[in-house]
Amino acid sequence: MRIFSGQQAFVLQRLSALVLLAFTAAAALRLGFGAPVSLEQWQAWAAQPAAAALLLLLAAALLVHAWVGTRDVVLDYVHPLLLRLSILSLVGVALALLGAWTAFVLVTHAL
Amino acid sequence: MNPDRPVFLDLARIRFPVGAVASIGHRISGVLLALVLPFAVWFLQLSLRSDSISIETGGFFRLAALLLAWAGAHHLFAGVRHLLMDVGIGASLPAARASAYAVLIAAAAVGLAAFFL
Repeated sequence: MRIFSGQQAFVLQRLSALVLLAFTAAAALRLGFGAPVSLEQWQAWAAQPAAAALLLLLAAALLVHAWVGTRDVVLDYVHPLLLRLSILSLVGVALALLGAWTAFVLVTHAL
Repeated sequence: MNPDRPVFLDLARIRFPVGAVASIGHRISGVLLALVLPFAVWFLQLSLRSDSISIETGGFFRLAALLLAWAGAHHLFAGVRHLLMDVGIGASLPAARASAYAVLIAAAAVGLAAFFL
């Protein structure tokens, strides 16, 4: 399936990995060494437009990373063409739906 | 591919170098993390829309915490290892073997910590 293939997939996998790594490091530092975060504080933070945009970027990186990774695994292990296309379609639709759901949750919370 | 080529697939006798174990772990943890994405979005929704959240502490949830913490840690550590190798750091065989051991041990430690804490 030619959605993000070849060198493009390679680059996107690593770019999204760097985004995820930066978020993970920031979250680990904040939660590990900063003051405890209450649920109210988290909700107030996520309601800011800039924070919502950051979280959308995180979600986009996560979904792109998941797509390239699962695609790699399916291409390596699933050889019958029809089964391969079915699984890839299913994964693609599922990730797109998850993206839409995440965007809906984040945007409605921030509005 | 030559159909008459010798095939040796005695799994009990195939030696997996430590790099191969780290690599297959990267894949397994990645698939696992992808599978729990729907739960992650659901939890995000709960965290933004609830007044309070209580964390379960039963045996099943401890096992789930162990598995997810291991998967997240292994995928993260193995991923950083790959990114460093991409830019030429630690790509020699002895260094790669050492870092593969480090990834396996550190990820197992994070998983166990998640189970007992």
